[in-house]
Amino acid sequence: MNVHEQFADDLALLALGTLEGAERAPVEAHLRECAACRGELERLRGDAALLVFSASGARPPARSRQRLLAAVAREAHRAPAPPVRKWAWWSALQWAAAAAVLAMFFLLVRQNDRLKRRVNQLATSSASEPQLIQARQLITALSASDADHFVLVSRKTSPQPQGRAIYLARSGTLVFLASNMPALPPEKIYELWLIPVSGAPIPAGLFRPDAEGTGSVVQPTLPVGVEAKTFAITVEPKKGSPAPTSQPIMLGTRG
Amino acid sequence: MSRAASDLVSTDAILVSAIRSGDQTAMAEIYDRYSNLVYSVALRILGDTGAAEDILQDVFMQLWRNPHAFDASRGSLPAWLAVISRNRAIDFFRKRRPETEMEEIVVSVEPDMVRGAEWSLLLGKIRGVLAGMPESQRLALEMSFFEGLTHGEIAQKTGEPLGTIKTRIRAGLIALRKACTR
Repeated sequence: MNVHEQFADDLALLALGTLEGAERAPVEAHLRECAACRGELERLRGDAALLVFSASGARPPARSRQRLLAAVAREAHRAPAPPVRKWAWWSALQWAAAAAVLAMFFLLVRQNDRLKRRVNQLATSSASEPQLIQARQLITALSASDADHFVLVSRKTSPQPQGRAIYLARSGTLVFLASNMPALPPEKIYELWLIPVSGAPIPAGLFRPDAEGTGSVVQPTLPVGVEAKTFAITVEPKKGSPAPTSQPIMLGTRG
Repeated sequence: MSRAASDLVSTDAILVSAIRSGDQTAMAEIYDRYSNLVYSVALRILGDTGAAEDILQDVFMQLWRNPHAFDASRGSLPAWLAVISRNRAIDFFRKRRPETEMEEIVVSVEPDMVRGAEWSLLLGKIRGVLAGMPESQRLALEMSFFEGLTHGEIAQKTGEPLGTIKTRIRAGLIALRKACTR
């Protein structure tokens, strides 16, 4: 019997939380040294968790929901006032909309400043002509009166995640900024799609939000002159996909 | 919009994220999705509707107070909530103070394993494995999981040798794994 087999049965009991007393200490000491057994313990916990589903079928009384939501509301009032409650004279919807606009405004200002600095840097350095053209196209797209603007919001929950796409079809220029996006597991990424008036969705860039939930796609490679019906976001494998592999989590409306 | 589509749009991770910013409607949505499961687990362990209701409240209030404890990359929300319900109910049953903090619970069920059509398939597999086990093995597994009994306590109840109980419990868990990863 090797050392792993010696602890195999005890790992199952540990996963169930029922290994006690003198038997627990040597297993825990072994786990500190053995990555394989730590992995097996995690798998056994997953196996044990499957058992909870065998218990499903009962339904709590309706009063439980009311009781919980009343308790949640009471605690919400007692909690230290975050911004949404500090401005209680606004409705939640107005606040959310205003916050989203403000957040987007600052994002756009930041992005605009960054782009202008980039243009200036390129103008005074030995940057190549294509880079200069690219940067100027971006500024033009951001300020063009005929650029299409799309606002992407979650289709069900209150408007936490939001994206704004500014797209100039005549040059194929796109700037997309997103805020409040939920974090993704490492193997997944958000993919932006240009949905043309006719034809299949066109990949329009990948992005992974930062710690604050902010992400952007700036001037991806797009064909010139494609009229956009809207934009959409899906969650894709980390290298992206040539065509959507899941339903959109966000869809655009013209803003 | 179909339930499956709305699930895609409004994922558990987005709802938990909304709870983190104090969104009470997100809390109601999570409750509507998983209260049956959380309540069922507590009721199975305690056999008392009033006590199960208290556990249900406790589990969801813990989520409201500390939504950061849930890490979507480490497992599915329903499995996580249900395991907390199981642990709280066993603590209550055995009159213990809660031994496990919410943050410490790792449930490595695949995040999307319990969604939509896969749910009934998974449930069928789990129930099939349990029904197909020798009764002594199923009882040992259920006494350990749903009653929180140690192998010593199970051996005392059933009159079986300690080593046999331990081996049956592990073999039962591995059988579940094999059935559900096929």
